[in-house]
Amino acid sequence: MENREIELRICHMYPDLLNLYGDRGNVLSLIRRAELRGIKVKLVPVSIGDEFDEKDFDIVFLGGGQDAEQNVIRRDFVEVKGPKVKDAIEHGMVFLCICGGYQMLGKYYQEHDGTKIECLGAIDVYTVGEDVRFIQDTVYEADFLKDDKAEDSSRLYGFENHSGRTYLGPSVKPMAKVVEGAGNNGKDGYEGAIYNNVFCTYSHGSFLPKNPRMTDHLIRIALKRRYGEDYELPELSMETEEFARAALLRYKEKGNTAP
Amino acid sequence: MASFRYHFAILSAKATRLALRIMGRGATTLPGKVAVKFDPLLLQKLCEGRNCVTITGTNGKTTTTHMITDIFRNCGYTVVTNVSGANLLSGVTTSMIFGLKDIKKAEKAGKKVICVLETDEAAYGKIACQIKPKVSVVTNLFRDQLDRFGELAHTRELIAKGLDSCDADILLNSDDSLVSELYSGREKRTVFYGLSEESMHYNNVTYPDKSGVLPASSDAEYCTGCRTKYTYTARSFGHLGAFSCEKCGKTRKKPRFYVEYDLSRNPSDEGYELSLCDGEGSSQKKKQVKLPIPGMHNFYNSISAVAACVRMGEIIGDKEELSFEKCAAALEHVEAAFGRMEKISIGDKKICVLLVKNPVGLDRALSFVAGASDAEGIYMLLNSNIADGKDVSWIWDVDFESKEFPKKVYVSGDRYGDMMLRIVYSGVDRSQIVAKPMEECADLLDQAISDSTPGKCLYILPNYTSMLALRSILVKRYHLKDFWK
Repeated sequence: MENREIELRICHMYPDLLNLYGDRGNVLSLIRRAELRGIKVKLVPVSIGDEFDEKDFDIVFLGGGQDAEQNVIRRDFVEVKGPKVKDAIEHGMVFLCICGGYQMLGKYYQEHDGTKIECLGAIDVYTVGEDVRFIQDTVYEADFLKDDKAEDSSRLYGFENHSGRTYLGPSVKPMAKVVEGAGNNGKDGYEGAIYNNVFCTYSHGSFLPKNPRMTDHLIRIALKRRYGEDYELPELSMETEEFARAALLRYKEKGNTAP
Repeated sequence: MASFRYHFAILSAKATRLALRIMGRGATTLPGKVAVKFDPLLLQKLCEGRNCVTITGTNGKTTTTHMITDIFRNCGYTVVTNVSGANLLSGVTTSMIFGLKDIKKAEKAGKKVICVLETDEAAYGKIACQIKPKVSVVTNLFRDQLDRFGELAHTRELIAKGLDSCDADILLNSDDSLVSELYSGREKRTVFYGLSEESMHYNNVTYPDKSGVLPASSDAEYCTGCRTKYTYTARSFGHLGAFSCEKCGKTRKKPRFYVEYDLSRNPSDEGYELSLCDGEGSSQKKKQVKLPIPGMHNFYNSISAVAACVRMGEIIGDKEELSFEKCAAALEHVEAAFGRMEKISIGDKKICVLLVKNPVGLDRALSFVAGASDAEGIYMLLNSNIADGKDVSWIWDVDFESKEFPKKVYVSGDRYGDMMLRIVYSGVDRSQIVAKPMEECADLLDQAISDSTPGKCLYILPNYTSMLALRSILVKRYHLKDFWK
């Protein structure tokens, strides 16, 4: 057991198109916290026209993009890769989807003028576009990350930047409670969505770097799925990440100190 | 004839500047802001009948403006220009108001006058109609503070609106697919500038693209017309390169003005040589110059500056003084603007400040520092004020992984935690980094300077508001002269 080589296969979907607001930092986090544990990482970009086969991967990452770019991939994602992605999700594949990626997994996106854009419909959520954009630092509380040994283990930090309001159906659970920020729709106090092993959030940019427990959680469930429930993810220090989190807290308390 | 309103507006600007100066503050935008309240069309009146050049786009505006200004001055012109950052209606107006004295003096002495105005890309749509430039340079379109401006396509629309509100000759970057799009519908008044394909960095197997674990986020991989992925025969950096769309046939236009560069040389070296060219074949003009401001992005800034001056000469009928030869030669005397590669001596130590505001700027700066033979330390400052963009996630869009960091790394700014984490995640050892909050940034600067070896250089990479803070620290602690004096 100790000597077996562990491998994590990451599928980065549309890295050439969905690459806004630092989403690639999430992939770098998965790679780093896996590699530091001696886990071999295989990263595969899957873009328009590329084959997607769930048996090739342990984690799928889907970010957000500019509107123009999202329109380019919609057909490929919904019509071409759609059925396979849906199957993968039903079979328990681990997904992390941010903002545009989150919206695209849902049933539809309704634009300001009422036009409904058909989305994948892999999870029971829908999104309505509104004029006012939520742009701010965010803090969430995610119960599934609670670890009694660490004080702020269930705290997630993020930055949201979206004009879509997402509403969850009964088969989908929110990922976290909003402590600061707007979250899914600015109304119900919840952020993101969880369905099977799919994790969706509006938290852009360096979501995983700032939340190493979330990174570890994704790696853990992906590897347990592949190597069996008895697989134990090796311990790994979070000192650097904790330093960054402390700096962020400090910033939140003091605000901008520069001119 | 100038109205009462006009004179009163000018007077109000002068009074405002006096008040600000008494308070010991710079007066680069507020006077114009006050004046425009009294006369909303003041800028139009100030620019009327004058020969104006505007520079807009996301990156390189300040350096290009600076270069154009210096070329015109070297060619015997009196130039009115705005200081860096003061590039909205208020700042441009302020510069024109206080430039009036110089203009009148020059006109009395029979000297020719040019106004060289840097204009914010989001404000261009509104102010170009007042400036009515004769030449308009569009530098490039890279992601920049998206939380403020929205998306790049929108920024381009704003620029297009400005271009259509005047009849300026348009100088477009041929290698930027997003910028060169502005050609359509404006064919007759467009001139292209760029790099020769052979001089683009990634065209050659000897100099392969050093890419990290992940390719850096690109801003325009797909054709803006038909949404097919571009094929590139060569790339310079970011999405700039020799692109073409196989489906709809949209392709990079051959530029009239272009740079030829020997790729075996290191663009991080000072005083590197490059050739500036105008046209092809028997009528080709070519001039070899040594550029005092290093860095590959300055290839673009240089050629666009020369192109702007030459075109202005052709338009106003001064081909003699503004010949290609003279304009290109004048480039050699250009000095860096503050925060744009200027090397500053502090005792026997050296610092170099490289302002970084967006992903491509940071990518260029890091790659420059990685190539600089005198780089010993790097000091990065990241703030998130409104002027910086509140969202700092863009630092993750940059390919840090492929860049080699100097031995000593210092980090500050309100977002020092984010920046520290970004650097560590790229593979730099945590023990190499000293990270301190913004309140301690001056002390950290002292430490970084005292840590450095004479003859070596400390490269400082601040974003916008941290650069302002840094500048005032340099004035106070190191007695460097301030920019508005």
